[in-house]
Amino acid sequence: MTRRCGHLPALWDAHRVTAVTGVALLAPLALTIFERGAAMMMALGLAVGLAVMWQLVFARLRGRPMGWDGIATALIFVLLLPGAVPLWHQGLALSFGIVMGDQIFGGRGRGFVNPAVVGLAFLLFSFPGVTTGTPGPSVAIAAALGGALLLAVGLMSRRVIAGFGLGIATLMVLLPDPEGWAALQSASLVLGLVFLIGDPVAAACTNAGRWFYGGLAGALVVLLGHSGDGVGALASVVFAALLASIFAPLIDQIVIWANIRRRARRQSHG
Amino acid sequence: MQFKFRKGLDLDMGAGPDGSHAELRSVGLVGLSGQDYPGTTFDLRVAEGDPVKTGQVLCVDRHRSEIRFVAPAAGLVRRITLGARRRLETLVIAVEGNDAQRLDPDPASEDDAALRCLLLESGAWVGIRSRPFGHIPDPGSRPAAIFVTATDTNPLAANPVAVLAPEMALFQRGAEALLRLTDGPVFVCQAPGPPLVVARDRLRIATFDGPHPSGLAGTHIHHLLPVSGQRSVWQIGYQEVAAIGHLLTTGRIMASRTLSVVGPGLTKPALVTAPLGSDLVDLTRNQTQGGAIRLISGPVLSGREAAFLGRYDLQVAVVDRDSPALPFRPLWQRLMDVLQPSPVGATLPLEVFERAFPLDLLPVPLMRSLAVGDVETSERLGCLELLEDDLALLSWLCPSRSDYGALLRRVLNTLAEESAP
Repeated sequence: MTRRCGHLPALWDAHRVTAVTGVALLAPLALTIFERGAAMMMALGLAVGLAVMWQLVFARLRGRPMGWDGIATALIFVLLLPGAVPLWHQGLALSFGIVMGDQIFGGRGRGFVNPAVVGLAFLLFSFPGVTTGTPGPSVAIAAALGGALLLAVGLMSRRVIAGFGLGIATLMVLLPDPEGWAALQSASLVLGLVFLIGDPVAAACTNAGRWFYGGLAGALVVLLGHSGDGVGALASVVFAALLASIFAPLIDQIVIWANIRRRARRQSHG
Repeated sequence: MQFKFRKGLDLDMGAGPDGSHAELRSVGLVGLSGQDYPGTTFDLRVAEGDPVKTGQVLCVDRHRSEIRFVAPAAGLVRRITLGARRRLETLVIAVEGNDAQRLDPDPASEDDAALRCLLLESGAWVGIRSRPFGHIPDPGSRPAAIFVTATDTNPLAANPVAVLAPEMALFQRGAEALLRLTDGPVFVCQAPGPPLVVARDRLRIATFDGPHPSGLAGTHIHHLLPVSGQRSVWQIGYQEVAAIGHLLTTGRIMASRTLSVVGPGLTKPALVTAPLGSDLVDLTRNQTQGGAIRLISGPVLSGREAAFLGRYDLQVAVVDRDSPALPFRPLWQRLMDVLQPSPVGATLPLEVFERAFPLDLLPVPLMRSLAVGDVETSERLGCLELLEDDLALLSWLCPSRSDYGALLRRVLNTLAEESAP
């Protein structure tokens, strides 16, 4: 641990990142609650309670101060959750996501996947036949607004978004979807892009890598959607996000090798 | 050569010192701080109570005794404090009179060995730092190039052009003397504008334009001649070069520097001429406002809270202990102040790091490897090219609240030990 250098008020810290992500989630959350009503409130309460509990447990186990980022994970998880899932399925999946996707690595920023993605993937794998109730297009717009906020303050990479757009557009031209471009208006897709694929922890951490990561995620969304329930379906977004974030460290490693080679060449010529 | 960067970040901290007139301030105490010189152990040549002249040797490097640290002012040695493992922490001189030592600069105008000797004897050598590692260079070494940093993009820094205006001839003379210390080029790195020296064969001018850190030596060296384990270069500040010119002309050491004394804790920012190692309390006496303040030697981003002016610092910042030092932050940043500060955490790989880092290094992998103390990976990712101040902006931007400059120094110390013969 090191003392903070410099003498300026900090721009970011973990609590602030969580708070701003929470603000970005407010509008889609409010709209979803409005659409689904009381059932949603139950799911929300359960998810937030579980997230706080797991963070508290791991903070105690490790003797470290507690973070609040689990709440943001819980909110994203509930937002993307299909309508009719039994509460115990939800709780089990979210617990799996937070523990295996985040806490066993040491908390946010130390892992390489988004815990909400792990939780949702677990849910879709373990309980097949989950009916995908998609939120309405108003939620998609609200999620896009949240994404714009994250972009503006610098918590999301525009390269990931641009790469995603390129990837999805290329594959849509190569593999035309029966629904056509309208499939891209799905709320699951926009929510997944902003809060799952756009999560800086899950994404690649170099500028060149961010393009490839975004492109890979976009291409996977179309590919998985084509062989599954459609491009905008929850399953295709979640598994695309999961696969892309698993490949992100490899992409980064390739970028690092290229950088080291380039600099070594400059050393010998310069 | 011209370089223009889009990457970087200029912090708005209000008005800097206006005009080019520097006011002369005297101080009661001057101090030499051991921590200004990483990797150096000192052998004292004076004791408490000894009278010293300006330019008299106070201590030398234990392993390279030609390297001398001299008194920046005449007076009495008031106090010598030793820290852990009996390392010199501070040596304080109570200023009195103006006795100065005079050296004979004539042999140095022709003979290269005599020039080195003069620089070492006068203490001007200590103003040079070598990369990698940022140590004082070996007296016998010849670097691949020398970089004169004649631009400063730190927030509220003094304008080097205005400071150098009365000393242009001395600066030219100093820069030409540097040519005789290396077989490679001497780069004068400046902001766009009229050239500060007359360029000739190996004496070259490079202009750097863009937001901070385009004015840091690390940025210049990375783009002109990157260093490595095999190649070492020297960097030197513009006022040190003028001081060398002054030494060669008069034989007396120029022990004062022109500083920008700034910050929200001051009634008025000012350009001040004061001795090296000035007592910061004396320097800002009757100029401060508000309650509890912190005196920072160096730029607000990379400086440290100190009692005396650091050897390489050209800025003194006075900030309030409680209220934030950035008066013009956007509303959303101020709103976040209501949250409790979080403890030190993990590096969050945001894109903003790349946007503020105009070097062809990969900031996030480097920050991560520094944070875990992975010496080998840090070296492969180019940490040898950097010194603490190059990472100050990243430390400020990073939500983990880690001080990457301090982490870098730890890794550099390990690498320096490994590479030592």
